[in-house]
Amino acid sequence: MKTNSKFFILSIISVLLMFVLLRDGTVAVASEKSLLEEIKGINEPFDSRSVKQVRPVTQKTVLAKEEYQGGTFRVLARKHAIERYKCSSCHLDKPVLVTQGLELTHGNVIINHGRKGDELGCIDCHHPDDRNYLEGKKGRKVDFDHSYQLCGQCHFRQKRDWLGGAHGKRVSNWAGDRVVYNCASCHDPHSPRFEKRFPATYSVPLN
Amino acid sequence: MSSQKKDEAKTIIEDVLEKPSSRRMFLKGASIAAAAGSAALAASYMSAADPASAGELKLRWQEYFKKNYRLMSQEEKDETVTRLERLAKFQDNMDVQIGTEPPTEKVLFGYAFNITRCEGFMECVTACVKENNLDRKTNTQYIRIFEMEPGQLDPSTGDGQYYHKVPVDDKFYMGVQCFHCENAPCIKACPTKATWKEPDGIVVVDYNWCIGCRYCQAACPYYGRRFNWGKGEVPKEEITTKQHYLGNRKRPMGKMEKCTFCIQRTRKGKLPACVEACPTGARVFGNLLDPDSEIRYVLKHKKVFRMKEEIGTQPKFWYFID
Repeated sequence: MKTNSKFFILSIISVLLMFVLLRDGTVAVASEKSLLEEIKGINEPFDSRSVKQVRPVTQKTVLAKEEYQGGTFRVLARKHAIERYKCSSCHLDKPVLVTQGLELTHGNVIINHGRKGDELGCIDCHHPDDRNYLEGKKGRKVDFDHSYQLCGQCHFRQKRDWLGGAHGKRVSNWAGDRVVYNCASCHDPHSPRFEKRFPATYSVPLN
Repeated sequence: MSSQKKDEAKTIIEDVLEKPSSRRMFLKGASIAAAAGSAALAASYMSAADPASAGELKLRWQEYFKKNYRLMSQEEKDETVTRLERLAKFQDNMDVQIGTEPPTEKVLFGYAFNITRCEGFMECVTACVKENNLDRKTNTQYIRIFEMEPGQLDPSTGDGQYYHKVPVDDKFYMGVQCFHCENAPCIKACPTKATWKEPDGIVVVDYNWCIGCRYCQAACPYYGRRFNWGKGEVPKEEITTKQHYLGNRKRPMGKMEKCTFCIQRTRKGKLPACVEACPTGARVFGNLLDPDSEIRYVLKHKKVFRMKEEIGTQPKFWYFID
């Protein structure tokens, strides 16, 4: 009887111990993978207006003609930033007959876009007849404010990421209405790669 | 000692003593009683060494008795913030606004860093230094950018002190800062509970409760924490006046500090200064609990990894490749 009860108590203790050990083990394993999985499992929509004190973007924006995973969004407007817009103030239906007009007005444009030695020409992007617009590969007019429609024809991967949020970035706020930088806000369309330069600062060894 | 000085000290003590009593207040009172003579003495003594006015001394005295931020009621938070703002006016003649914005519900901040896009311009670093009022004398920086050899993914193999034209061909750049781990070792290491994780995922420091032991710095596997050796010297015209109690307010000497995801900005819906400054769009910031957010898009569609994933700290900072 005595040995029996001893055995009984021992077995209970060992079962408890096993339970504790096992539980600890499973928890550790579960939590190692869980954060990303947990996050990916959350699909309840979030109302970014619940964030107080969000200030709307002050720059000029336009409603994008496409949608991202969260619906409509806005992009930074472009036209007001282009020095020589509107193009039709010179490019009318009459031919431009100024001597050296191209050099005088567009001499600062250096095209470094496309393969070396086979760079793009003006009318690869600009509309040949209506200069106030860009021209898509299928001949449709593309507004300067919506240049992503044009760029995305070749750079479709970048455009996909830009729509989703992995390329480019939002303006000022993570909350509130989504406003993102336009392609040409960061890239010079005539020479889209960023130039090499010195970094803005330097680092000293850690304390 | 002039009689005027004595009177000033007396009124300070009376002011403090007349507050409603509690255990804390009692202790405070007891210590004041014990220190009454010396306080009066100190008032006259200190005025010789540093020309602090009676008003400033009173504020400094009251500051000694405040609680840990997490234990403060909103009222107490407002009081200490008002005191700190007035002290800034007294000491530096600065008009600062110190906020105590609480976390928003259903928000968990996350960060992603595109190692394909970063070109090492370090604009994020300068923006961070400016926004967070970092000490210019010791050149404290929360962010470090490493120039990496292809194929390497451990920043300790990279060059963190480059200064030449960037980007260099065949190298890539990797930024490191506080990763705001879900399971942060620094929090466990702190002996005074001066550092903790806020509900929105930001790991913060109560600069007044930190004793500067630097245990957290030793515990952090990512070198994310900085010790401030000095008083935080910032040119007056460069001070960011919009501050947060847990963020970029003036830190006393000898405290631990670190990236707070710009708590003073992000709690108001703004992007951190580093994200806003990044010229290449390599930095993505957002709410992990919002299925439509940019950060969630990155986690869903990109190859992501975290640094030292195997140690189980669960950083909320992912690196990704285009």
